Amino acid sequence: MSPIISDIIKIIIWPPLWQLIVLGLLLPLGVVVFIIWFERKTAARVQRRIGPYHVSPRIAGGLQLVADLMRYMFQEIIIPKTVDVAPFIMAPLIALILSILPVVAMPFTSNASYFPIGMRYSLIVALALITLSPIFVIVAGWASNNKFSLIGGMREAYLITAYELIVMVSFLSASAATGSFDLVKIVEAQAGGKWLGLLNPLALLAALIGVLLSTSGFPFEIPESEHEVVAGAYTEYSGLVYGINMGAAYLKRMVYSILIALVFLGGWRPYTPGPGFVSGYLIPSIVVFIKATILMMIFSFLRAVYGRYRLDQALDIAWKYIFPLAVAGFGLSLALAYLGIY
Amino acid sequence: MSGIVRGNVGFNDLKIPGMWSRKIGKDLYEVFIGPQHPGSGHMRIIIRIDGDIIVEAEPDMGYVHRTMEKLSEGRAWIKAIPLFERMAIHDACNVTLPYVRAVEKLLGIEAPLRAKYLRVLLCEINRIAAFLYGFGIFGVFLGHSTMYMWPFGDREVWVELAEWLTGARLTHTYPVFGGVRRDVPEGFTDSLRKAIRYMRRRLEDYRKIFVDNPVIRARLEDVGVIPRNLAIELGITGPNLRASGVRYDVRKNHPYEVYDELDFEIPVFQEGDAYARVHQRVQEILQSLRILEQVADWLDKHPREPVMHERFWKTAPPLYKKIFQETGRVKLGAVMAIMKIPQGKAYERGETARGEISYYVESDGGNKPYRIRIHSASARNALVYKYIVPGHRVMDLPAIYGSIDYFPPEADR
Amino acid sequence: MEPQEVVDLVRRVLGDMVRDVKIWKGNDYIEVEIDASSIREAAARMKEAGFDHVKDVTAVDYMKEGRFRIIYNLSSYNNFDLSYYIVGLAYDIPRDKPETVSLADIYTSAEFQEREVYEGFGIIFKGHPDLKPLLLSPPVAEQKPLRKDFIVREEPEIKVEKKR
Repeated sequence: MSPIISDIIKIIIWPPLWQLIVLGLLLPLGVVVFIIWFERKTAARVQRRIGPYHVSPRIAGGLQLVADLMRYMFQEIIIPKTVDVAPFIMAPLIALILSILPVVAMPFTSNASYFPIGMRYSLIVALALITLSPIFVIVAGWASNNKFSLIGGMREAYLITAYELIVMVSFLSASAATGSFDLVKIVEAQAGGKWLGLLNPLALLAALIGVLLSTSGFPFEIPESEHEVVAGAYTEYSGLVYGINMGAAYLKRMVYSILIALVFLGGWRPYTPGPGFVSGYLIPSIVVFIKATILMMIFSFLRAVYGRYRLDQALDIAWKYIFPLAVAGFGLSLALAYLGIY
Repeated sequence: MSGIVRGNVGFNDLKIPGMWSRKIGKDLYEVFIGPQHPGSGHMRIIIRIDGDIIVEAEPDMGYVHRTMEKLSEGRAWIKAIPLFERMAIHDACNVTLPYVRAVEKLLGIEAPLRAKYLRVLLCEINRIAAFLYGFGIFGVFLGHSTMYMWPFGDREVWVELAEWLTGARLTHTYPVFGGVRRDVPEGFTDSLRKAIRYMRRRLEDYRKIFVDNPVIRARLEDVGVIPRNLAIELGITGPNLRASGVRYDVRKNHPYEVYDELDFEIPVFQEGDAYARVHQRVQEILQSLRILEQVADWLDKHPREPVMHERFWKTAPPLYKKIFQETGRVKLGAVMAIMKIPQGKAYERGETARGEISYYVESDGGNKPYRIRIHSASARNALVYKYIVPGHRVMDLPAIYGSIDYFPPEADR
Repeated sequence: MEPQEVVDLVRRVLGDMVRDVKIWKGNDYIEVEIDASSIREAAARMKEAGFDHVKDVTAVDYMKEGRFRIIYNLSSYNNFDLSYYIVGLAYDIPRDKPETVSLADIYTSAEFQEREVYEGFGIIFKGHPDLKPLLLSPPVAEQKPLRKDFIVREEPEIKVEKKR
């Protein structure tokens, strides 16, 4: 093997890059495609329909999403006269990048040579990065210069105040239990079936609802509520940029799911990472992804069951019930730490 | 909000209706919802909001106005039936029946008993289908996609039955002056009974996923409350009126066809909010099923008879009678198109799925109507937007819109 | 309640405002003709008597006689006996001076319907809170389409030459 090729391979599997491009973008994108298909198919099953079918009848319409993606790609991108062009274009792109950026802070293995960026505060960094993207939804709504976009953006802003604290407190309860901000240590502490989600279901529940609020999943699909604000902040978007908006929302939910899988569902456990690329990196990350995908499937199933709450009711629920729940989860974590379980 | 300016083009420079923003008061924001808005149907509601609270709301109707009153003045009496059907195509029999009855009143005739039962049969089938349609729209307004798909799927059962009975899925033109166009096909009542059993079972499913759903309850309870007095004052009608505690149903208060011989009740709820209106509609479907069962029993017990008035058979060629005896279909001759209606006025009303429809029919003795005034249920209910919506949140607007089951083509006529 | 009883009730309520009463075919539609000047007083008294809402408001154009007839069809939700009947409160106004008073402040249910009569016939209801076209766009409403002198022309038939 010539040195150039091996250099290229080294660069490709250089953990930070590999993590961001493959595990942060490509694999989640594949999962998202599967999840959207799954969402449409389960909803169709519940609603006694067939769902996606005609694009590829043999694999139950699995290629429908690819076809949709193609359509988005070749659709004309219309930029209305009244929008503020630079933020209008930039906001979805930055939102997309920011939604996948937290992946670089998330280790998918305990093998130190495959840490993306090894650090002791990876949980905090991941959470901090994850909360940046909603700002650009608001920017997109503002730049669109359309009333429905503006109202959608404002709704997003309202919801940030509701879910941010819940997400923070419920995820940080893991640190309270394990005494560490390092995701690797948090995962390793859960070895042997001591999953935090099982021992502290309150924090897990709060985190799940926080994620639903944050990624506007049903029953909190409020900022994009079609029948009041058309498509919320994305009303004026079309073509690929609109596709990016929609994709970014799903990617964000995927990243959240990965984080939940790491923090509450034991990460790559029960598998113990060994040396080498395959057993030390590939297999543990697949385990994490499977857990995250199951979470995504649960999230998307809710679409078939629930309607959407009103904005003030969502805020009400968040502050009156879910925030105390998250705090209770934090307290439970402290109790777990006191009892010396971790 | 009006201060956002990019380059030379700001909000205020833009003169496209619906897109502009103008200052209408401190902290007030005017939003045009419709008519191309996914949540408004073919109408526009202009709302002025202060924060999230609607301060003023004004319905702007007429986007699907089809000048029915004027058009009917220019054509033969019978040609107005398919025209009026277009008001609410999924409720066609209910919508046209009062017109047919008004003209029959002027003619001084009455349909044979079997035709009356057949009219009631199709009316109730239409009513259930229209309620299911309303439920579907309501579901999608609340973001509940399952409640959108289920009623639309189950509505197919009733639409198919109507098609079997009349030959058309939606615009049946079933009742004509003096009777109905067709007798029931063989085996129809058995399928009808099956459909009734199926619908009862499905209503239980609806209750589980929609009516008792905590999210839906949170959205609907104490939203869009129409107090009893206000409902009467505004002239609200149909299930919306009854959900506000007024016991009024044209089928009981002014019985037409054979409704006074059938055993059914008028469900009434006292709360008057959107949630009561959902329950109201579920109960109305159950009552319609009850009526349908009785009609099916009656049709089974009684032999076939000509389903048109005897005056029709006198004027019709013998061949028509033969066709009817062989196929059960009434062939309408040219007599119907040139028919002259005696001079006079008649007022007739009927209970459609969305409420009361009324026809004021005036004839000058010619072969065309002199004046027909239609006032439909949705047009009566349109006042809700102006008087009930203010004070609610923006997100309540779809809930109220869906709960009063407003149907723009019917309102605009 | 018999139709005659309703007529008696109306006569008692309206007193000498009543010009003529007619029970039309079917015995459930009673047309009460009154003077144009007394309509507000009559409507207020009718509302007191239990006719709590307006079923519909309409006008009829008698072009040859040069008058419009405006009809408020009243009925009741509260009173079961009255709800069987429709009482049409009718009055005439001259065709060349189509002006009358609004009843929207007495019967809220008449508010939108008076707008409909306004756009169709060009009859101006004085005192209406918000008199503007309801269904039609203003240029169409200007032509007063429901009047008898507005004639709807059917679209000309388009003849397609058959290709041989």
